[in-house]
Amino acid sequence: MSTPPQPLPGELVRAGFTDARRAERLLAELLGSMPGEPAGDDLTGALSVTADPDQALLAAVRLVEADPATGALLAEAGTARDRLLAVLGGSSALGDHLVRHPEHATVLADPEPFGRGQRFPDPEPLCERLTAAVAGLTGREGMDALRVAYRRELLLIAAADLVAEDPVELLPDVAAALADLAAAALEAAVVLARAETEGAENVRFAVIGMGKTGGRELNYISDVDVVFLVAPRQTDARTDADAGERSAYSSLDDAIAVGTSLATAVMRICGQSTGEGSLWQVDAALRPEGKNGPLLRSLESHREYYQRWARTWEFQALLKARHVAGDETLSEEWLDLVRPMVWEASARDGFVENVQAMRRRVEEHVPAAEAPWQLKLGPGGLRDIEFSVQLLQLVHGRTDEELHSGTTLEALAALRDGGYVARDDAHALDDAYRFLRVLEHRVQLHRLRRTHLMPSTEADQRRLGRSLGERGDAATAVVQRWRAQQREVRRLHERLFYRPLLAAVAKLSSDEVRLSPEAARVRLGALGFRDPAGAMRHLESLTDGVSRRATIQRHLLPVMLGWFADGADPDAGLLAFRRISDTLGTTHWYLKMLRDEGSAAERLAHVLATSRYAVELLIQAPESVSLLGEPTGLQPVSRETLHSRMVAAAERHEDPADAFTGIRAVRARELLRLVLADLVGEIDQPALRAALTELTDELLSAALLIATRAVVGDADPAARMLVVGMGRLGGREMGYASDADVMYVFEPVEGAEGAQAQASEIIAVLRKGLSGNGPDPVLELDADLRPEGKSGPLVRSLESYAVYYDRWSAGWESQALLRARSVAGDQDLAQRFTALIDPLRWPDDGIDQGAVRDIRRLKARMEGERLPRGADPRTHFKLGLGGLSDVEWVVQLTQLQHAHEHSGLRTTGTLAALNAAVEAGLIAEGDASVLRRSWTLASRLRDAGVLWRGRAVDSVPSDSREAEGISRILDRPPGHGGELAEEWRRAARRCRAVVERLLYGGPLGHSRSPGRSRGSAGPGGHRAQRA
Amino acid sequence: MDRQQEYVLRTIEERDIRFVRLWFTDVLGALKSVAVAPAELEQAFAEGIGFDGSAIEGFTRVYEADMIVQPDASTFTVIPWRGDNPGTARMFCDIRMPDGSPAGSDSRNVLRRALDSAAEDGFTFYTHPEIEFYLFKEPYDASVGPIPIDQAGYFDHVARGDGHDFRRAAITMLEKMGISVEYSHHEGGPGQNEIDLRYADALSMADNIMTFRTVVREVALQHGALASFMPKPLADHPGSAMHTHVSLFEGDKNAFYEPTASYELSQTGRRFTAGVLRHAREITAVTNQWVNSYKRIWGGGEAPAHVCWGHNNRSALVRVPMYSIGKGHSRRIEIRSMDSACNPYLSFALILAAGLKGVREGYELPPEAEDDVWALTDGERRAMGIDELPQSLSEAIQVMESSELVAETLGETVFDFFLRNKRQEWYDYRAQVTPFELDRYLVRL
Repeated sequence: MSTPPQPLPGELVRAGFTDARRAERLLAELLGSMPGEPAGDDLTGALSVTADPDQALLAAVRLVEADPATGALLAEAGTARDRLLAVLGGSSALGDHLVRHPEHATVLADPEPFGRGQRFPDPEPLCERLTAAVAGLTGREGMDALRVAYRRELLLIAAADLVAEDPVELLPDVAAALADLAAAALEAAVVLARAETEGAENVRFAVIGMGKTGGRELNYISDVDVVFLVAPRQTDARTDADAGERSAYSSLDDAIAVGTSLATAVMRICGQSTGEGSLWQVDAALRPEGKNGPLLRSLESHREYYQRWARTWEFQALLKARHVAGDETLSEEWLDLVRPMVWEASARDGFVENVQAMRRRVEEHVPAAEAPWQLKLGPGGLRDIEFSVQLLQLVHGRTDEELHSGTTLEALAALRDGGYVARDDAHALDDAYRFLRVLEHRVQLHRLRRTHLMPSTEADQRRLGRSLGERGDAATAVVQRWRAQQREVRRLHERLFYRPLLAAVAKLSSDEVRLSPEAARVRLGALGFRDPAGAMRHLESLTDGVSRRATIQRHLLPVMLGWFADGADPDAGLLAFRRISDTLGTTHWYLKMLRDEGSAAERLAHVLATSRYAVELLIQAPESVSLLGEPTGLQPVSRETLHSRMVAAAERHEDPADAFTGIRAVRARELLRLVLADLVGEIDQPALRAALTELTDELLSAALLIATRAVVGDADPAARMLVVGMGRLGGREMGYASDADVMYVFEPVEGAEGAQAQASEIIAVLRKGLSGNGPDPVLELDADLRPEGKSGPLVRSLESYAVYYDRWSAGWESQALLRARSVAGDQDLAQRFTALIDPLRWPDDGIDQGAVRDIRRLKARMEGERLPRGADPRTHFKLGLGGLSDVEWVVQLTQLQHAHEHSGLRTTGTLAALNAAVEAGLIAEGDASVLRRSWTLASRLRDAGVLWRGRAVDSVPSDSREAEGISRILDRPPGHGGELAEEWRRAARRCRAVVERLLYGGPLGHSRSPGRSRGSAGPGGHRAQRA
Repeated sequence: MDRQQEYVLRTIEERDIRFVRLWFTDVLGALKSVAVAPAELEQAFAEGIGFDGSAIEGFTRVYEADMIVQPDASTFTVIPWRGDNPGTARMFCDIRMPDGSPAGSDSRNVLRRALDSAAEDGFTFYTHPEIEFYLFKEPYDASVGPIPIDQAGYFDHVARGDGHDFRRAAITMLEKMGISVEYSHHEGGPGQNEIDLRYADALSMADNIMTFRTVVREVALQHGALASFMPKPLADHPGSAMHTHVSLFEGDKNAFYEPTASYELSQTGRRFTAGVLRHAREITAVTNQWVNSYKRIWGGGEAPAHVCWGHNNRSALVRVPMYSIGKGHSRRIEIRSMDSACNPYLSFALILAAGLKGVREGYELPPEAEDDVWALTDGERRAMGIDELPQSLSEAIQVMESSELVAETLGETVFDFFLRNKRQEWYDYRAQVTPFELDRYLVRL
């Protein structure tokens, strides 16, 4: 035999072989083993169009080795050889299978194995072939036969897929054929399972396909999602002689036991690895109660579960349910049972929350390491498309039955035809879905492994690229194509939902989607807009016209709408955006910032839809929006900067009124900065409280400066001035709603006249300057903690304080002084004042038992008296049982008793003192953490209340929307607002138990009278505490 | 509107029903009712009907509160004792806040939440109560005291007994209302009867118990008797318990059943029992919520004053009853502390929560008590680690106050309402001068 003509190595490289020498050798071997005198060039040509010529050639050699008869197939050019080589080049796993079963090579010869023009099998004959293959077999033999028969069919599907001119076009057919093949395999598995299961003849058993199997859009290899059903076989007593005996078996319990064995057998028959490998894992986790639930339950139990317990997403999963194997009547009974509920479900409570949760699920659950190579999950993946489509089905499917398809691409087409998504968007999405699926299929086909990752090695990428028709640098080309598609999906995902909303109002080009106003309202409603008609008006106003502004906003809004929808109050967010845009839209920087500054637009949308307080501040000074675009815009400024800004603002204006406005504008801007930082989570709570305190300190300093200047002018001052902070201001624990508790102190300058009058006038000017409407929310100055309270003089000299405290001071006044801190004014005076009060608040040797008893009694009386009329003592943050005041009293009592021994207790901060008390061993850490929890939760809830409502709240609002808004500011997931009241009551109840022990020296027992009287306000004592 | 609701509206039309009573329950287990005309029902389904929600806070209501009752269409039943034409029907309601969220103070919702929590672990909770009560002669004269309608005893057949007719009438009426009765007989005390309801899921059963008490009172009145669920009406005779058999199901499978285990009680069943025992003291204020309840518990005999379990031990708090081989479906434990005057929603919720805690945290079941625990000395019981239930409502309240389990299960609102009510009851009781004191002290001291 002469050596056939052989291609040169160079030609081999051009033909796509990577290892030309090895290819040359193998080619020679292959040609040598073939009948007749095959043309080497010709064969090389055939190999060169396969995805992986090296792999195809090697597999061909092995195949002919295994069965020389197959050589004939390869010898002759034509579709038979092309199909065989395509399979060998596209899938090493199927190549291995052919080597093991060379007889299957011949089935590939027929390009239309299922009849004229038909590339894929019909479901019924397919099912018959697979069940016939296992007929009469059991055990391992049956499982092997099933695997062999399955692979034989799989070969045909893969061949049709791999030789397709346009695999992207063919994708839905391939996916459907794979689902049919899985169904057929399940049917055969049921036959095998029945044969090996005792009592199987007494039950009806069915398999429902879920997920991609149910949707007829399966992958080459993935888990096959199913739900198993079983029911006792009905026995007919009149005709069945064995009725008596049978009925013993037909009870539900036994049926379920038999059904469980059958289901377990089916899962094993499909999933277990044998000498012939395995098919795929059968996953029954979509059954009621998921993995926790029993594998099988009665139809009645299914009904009960879906009526009573099931969650919205479970109904969504039912969308794809379809009979695939076993007793079809049983499946139909079940489907009749669940189908109506799928669409009823979307009318259930919490629909909006569920929709929002689903939108987030799209982005979650991707292991970080895999994210960059994910085809399925992650941004721009298949899941994005599937969820987008399902979400739209869920929103609009309630009223439009046309949308009820379980198949992604069909549903997408229905959405397009119904006008729910733009025609070109639908088209692009359809393309993207097919392309990503083809990538996924080809990746899986190579080794028949369940994977959803793009290959990361060049060889794998090259094969993938070539299988999609790329030549040259196929690896780079395919990755680029994929990345581009991914970006497109990402963009589409956002547009799909929101762009038609804009189109509905903005009357764009004629090719655009025509979402009816009604459908647009439904969709806005599903997004959480409570006034969809209003939202439509805002959208119209924002996008109307041809201005640059309208154009940019048309571009921005689809994305921003999603962010508004994530907030607790989307309507308010959109309205505020409209108001701010109306003011700033013509400035050069505003829209540019939103368009170009990364997260600025997202943060703005979040802030606007979350916080009325922030909106009010922003409406006052819209240009402050720029803080969101500045890199350090949300970091609190340093104390020095704050100081110099305040001083500069104070000195810039001659007129005191203007100067006050100036410093209040500085406060407004810095306050807004803190609010924004808080809302986007860039500042923690202790830092926020410290920053708010600093801001107040500096404001008061600057205000004192202005007032002094206004009163004294250029003359020498007659008095040195000091502002002392008390309560939360003194404790450096300010919240948004905190008043500034203060005392005013002066000291006559030696030899000067009229110090008292001058000091009083300065304070009067200061108070007037900071009150009334201004650029910032009013800072209330509360001087009620001064000696003699409301009836005492507003401003006292240091000496007068000394005399007063020496003679009259009540126990509660020492207690109030625990949080006294000089915040503005003369430093020397501050030192003298501190020297005056230190021995009062931190008395040597603590306080005696009599004083302790007085404090306890005062507290007990205040509990009844101070609570506002109508307030519930269980829920009031500040004065309720276990509230802020409770914690502060415990800490302060400890301070009064022990500050002389432990320097750590000599602090004005509640938490600082509490921590010091723990360190000193005075309060157990367990107790302290309960107190801390209540105190911080109450503080945070009060702050969140201000952010959400724009004004203070005293308890968790009973209105669930308000509670939800506050809960969202606390960064809780949506739909958990209702738990807040419960959470507070729990924290407060636990706190109260500790307070009763630490403050009152033991539980009060329950023998005290429950109906505590809430009389009129008592004497001065109840002013003692300021939270 | 769903199908159930449509069915209700159709039935009302077909059966010429003129009034629909909307039933709900306050925190103490008292039945409350609002009547609506059928015309308003459609709206009631859609939006509910507003009322002053403080009505469910028990005796110590403080604030008015706008709430909504929303009928549960699946509980629709025609009331048989109101006559057939025109008829009256009733539905149980869920109580909601004006925005539609469940009201924290609704007992029914407390049980729903507990059941939801169990459902997350794949469990459904079934109960089967044996409800005892007394029949006294009508009218009751306080100066004479209660007079039982007969003098029979346990399982006695009373010839031409009024009780017999009464039970037949009561059962017929219960069955008409869709409540299956498993069993009924004369109980130990004179005029004392027991009717056992066929097991059902806990929520339906709690609804059934509320209906049951109403039906029994109505039928008794028709027979010229007064039915009382008071836990201990007669000092010398047994009190009225509501022994309740409970079990967990996973789908259709009884999770307490394990054919090879001792007493066929599965690990889940043992842990559940351990949970009920460990938390028994905490939940007593709810399962035995009246001052009078403690006179039953501490009355000796079959009353379970001690925290232990046993197989067929009628002095134990939890009894693992006889079983018949292979009837896995019916494997259950019997909790014997509850009395017939409890709030069934709250009691079931707490028993479930206590049991589930045992299951979730894998509590060990203490050894079985085989003797009559009453016959043991205090020292023996202490040695065996057998704790006792609270002696009085006051003690029970104190134990409950520091219970996280109870607070969490009832929710902070019901927890608070309940304690407030019970403290008030205790103060009122404490203020009484009883006949006992007069008898013993007045003359002698």
